[in-house]
Amino acid sequence: MASVTLEELRKTYDKKYWAVNGISLQIADGELMALLGPSGCGKSSTMRMIAGLEELTSGKIYFGDQLMNRVTPKHRNVAMVFETYALYPTLSVYENLAFPLRSAGWKNEDIERRVREIVDILQVEHLLMHKPRDLSSGQSQLVGLGRALMRQPNVFVMDEPISHLDTRLRSRMRSYIKRLHIDLGYTMLYVTHDQEEAMALADRIAIMDQGIIRQIGTPDEVFHHPNDLFVAGFIGEPPMNFLESQVVHDNGSYHLEVHGHRIAIPANLKANVQALPEKITIGIRPFYIGVSGTPDEQHTLPGRVFIVESLGDATVISIDTDDTRLQVSLEHTPALKSGDDIWLALDPDYMVGFDPHSQLALVGHNGSKA
Amino acid sequence: METQRISFGLFFRHFLILIILIVFLFPIYWMITTSFKSSEDILTRPPKFVFEPTLDNYRFAFEEADFTKFIRNTIIVAGLSTILVVTFGSIASYSFARWNPGDGHIMFFILTTRMMPAIAVIMPFFLIFRDLGKTDIGNRFYLGLDQPGALVVAYTVFNLPFAIWLMHSFFQDIPMELEDSARLDGYSRLQVFFRVVLPLAAPGIAVTAIFSLLFAWNEFLFAFVLTRDDARTITVGVSSFQTQQGILWGPLTAAAVVCVVPMLVVALFLQRYMVRGLTFGAVRG
Repeated sequence: MASVTLEELRKTYDKKYWAVNGISLQIADGELMALLGPSGCGKSSTMRMIAGLEELTSGKIYFGDQLMNRVTPKHRNVAMVFETYALYPTLSVYENLAFPLRSAGWKNEDIERRVREIVDILQVEHLLMHKPRDLSSGQSQLVGLGRALMRQPNVFVMDEPISHLDTRLRSRMRSYIKRLHIDLGYTMLYVTHDQEEAMALADRIAIMDQGIIRQIGTPDEVFHHPNDLFVAGFIGEPPMNFLESQVVHDNGSYHLEVHGHRIAIPANLKANVQALPEKITIGIRPFYIGVSGTPDEQHTLPGRVFIVESLGDATVISIDTDDTRLQVSLEHTPALKSGDDIWLALDPDYMVGFDPHSQLALVGHNGSKA
Repeated sequence: METQRISFGLFFRHFLILIILIVFLFPIYWMITTSFKSSEDILTRPPKFVFEPTLDNYRFAFEEADFTKFIRNTIIVAGLSTILVVTFGSIASYSFARWNPGDGHIMFFILTTRMMPAIAVIMPFFLIFRDLGKTDIGNRFYLGLDQPGALVVAYTVFNLPFAIWLMHSFFQDIPMELEDSARLDGYSRLQVFFRVVLPLAAPGIAVTAIFSLLFAWNEFLFAFVLTRDDARTITVGVSSFQTQQGILWGPLTAAAVVCVVPMLVVALFLQRYMVRGLTFGAVRG
């Protein structure tokens, strides 16, 4: 096992467009890092460069303190789990598992022993003699996982390993992978476009967009303290709400106005209120908006109910304000129906302010982000 | 009633199949029976359906007309050219499928070489092989006129574009992840090609080989122009029974049967493989 260090990694395929545009990242030994981003953000290219399947245009890759740039995939000792399983269709499950060891020149009895070990961990003994085409998608991915576990890899890379599975299986495999990581302690890079997966699995998440990393942090950090509008909008379900607001200076005190309606200033920005730009984009998660039938001190923002969706454990209400549709998530089901006029309270403790020009989160006086 | 309608439909369908089979199979039936008839039985009117079979025609074809040699030549030429086509074709096709050198232009250029009919290139071929035959290299590799090497080269050149295009989709259908996985497991590029890609492309390669073999086996024009006697192939041999004294129907049909049977056996034997190869493409991971 080893830590992985990327320094200013770049990749272009046609010399015009940068698929990966200067990525620096450190994955600690034994850490599970998720590489999260929408399709086309460069996460697959990054992963393939780490595995050695793709040449770098520039930059450096280290495993531990060893430079890997010119090392062939064979000698990098990276194990990989593929989105489409990538089992060899002509070989039995047993032979698929044995494949990495055979090419490494292991003796037959050693291979047999190792296959048994892995099969015990994954509980797939009954599949050993089957061909991949006889397996369900879940079984296929278990075997794919098993094949990656056969060697003792330096780095364990997973490329959207569960996105082809159905929802139930997905959450089972997810906890399975997490437990596997805890038990075996491999350095893992988990590539996904599903923020929920990344949140649930990773020790830290690197969020990528258009070839660069927008933020690296623990799930908690990226959820509560997003660096910019992209991260804020990408993480969380239902997604974060955004409102355009105006900073109003009124007799020495400051407040925010959304279409003339007064709302509070985000708690972390209060101390530094003079330095705020004229306009602020307010971000607030659906869980931190209160709803009332009448206006009062807190409930200052008027809106009209668009639709109420009851999900059993929570109720999501879509509410139209002057120009934005907000989503509010409540634990109880309020007596509301489409068309009702209501008043909203935004909790200043959980509001995040962004500069609408730079799209970056505004940093409070004490240096802490929202 | 429901059952009656179905059985009528079924009857009609089978009747139609029967008609079509007769239309297609009767000439072959006639060829085979004629090859076993004596010359008097062949020419009688009305034609005889019941007759006393004889092997005279086969005896004539093999003893007087030297068909053993023609068959040997055909096997050598068709076999060698097929091996060359599959070897070069699979390598070329794989690199087109994975890296597409020339952004499709080279691929298209390869196709253009098939845009003229064989008759258009036969004179240049004739001149090239005539002169090649006078050189040392030409002699060593039997590349002169009336030598098998010339036909092998001609057939390979003519079949290669088709083979590259046919195999292209088979290679494309092999998931890239399988190659990635094998490379991570310690295989070099070449090992990946030989141990992972080729086995998976086997159905496609088999189909290509069969088509290439069929073409070379049945080819007439090149063989007719480029050979005279020593390297003569079976199709040209069959045509040689059209003599100035008239068509020798008996030996001609006997020779034709000998020509058809091997390919029929190959096709029957590999039919399932071929259909699967053509319809399903390669493998899904």
